[in-house]
Amino acid sequence: MNSHLLLMLIFSVPVSLVFTFIAKNGAKERIKYFIFLLGSFILLSIVAGWLMYPFPF
Amino acid sequence: MESEGVPPQIPIQAGMLKTTAACVAGALVPGLGHALLNKWDRAIVFFGSICAMFALGLRLNARLFNPDFSDLFSILKFLADAGTGLLYWISWLRGLGAGDPAAYTYDFGNIFVYVAGLLNMLVVVDAFDIAMGRKQ
Repeated sequence: MNSHLLLMLIFSVPVSLVFTFIAKNGAKERIKYFIFLLGSFILLSIVAGWLMYPFPF
Repeated sequence: MESEGVPPQIPIQAGMLKTTAACVAGALVPGLGHALLNKWDRAIVFFGSICAMFALGLRLNARLFNPDFSDLFSILKFLADAGTGLLYWISWLRGLGAGDPAAYTYDFGNIFVYVAGLLNMLVVVDAFDIAMGRKQ
């Protein structure tokens, strides 16, 4: 298991799940919030990775 | 806009004993506090997620940090690890989590274990809020 992306995806799922169940009640709300959190995790991690790409100068 | 005919659900405050029991149980076993408060869906998700993260962290060669109070970062690492409650103490007493800093996944493993502990702290606070009637 040497893929950073795969490990990040595996990490994102339980964290998003816990935050979803803490923050929301009701199945529909939870599904929407879970997808939003998971998507944010993945997208922002990729964006942060590209922002750090030029470092160190 | 409130829907007509559906009475709003008012959160019920648990007694002091039940609140304390839920917080202590939740700190020892992830999700157990919610189980005591009959929040079974949350209990199952919290237990499954936190145990999975902790086990995966150990599988990724994480190190379980000892109760070492010599410097600030050691204390913080220990607190984050120990946040998982009995998962940490049983693993630590069994000698698991020796860690392999040379392993490719060492840092990932540590992050998994830290975050499992920190999430469990949040889960305990959530159980406290539910027991106090602040949320459903």
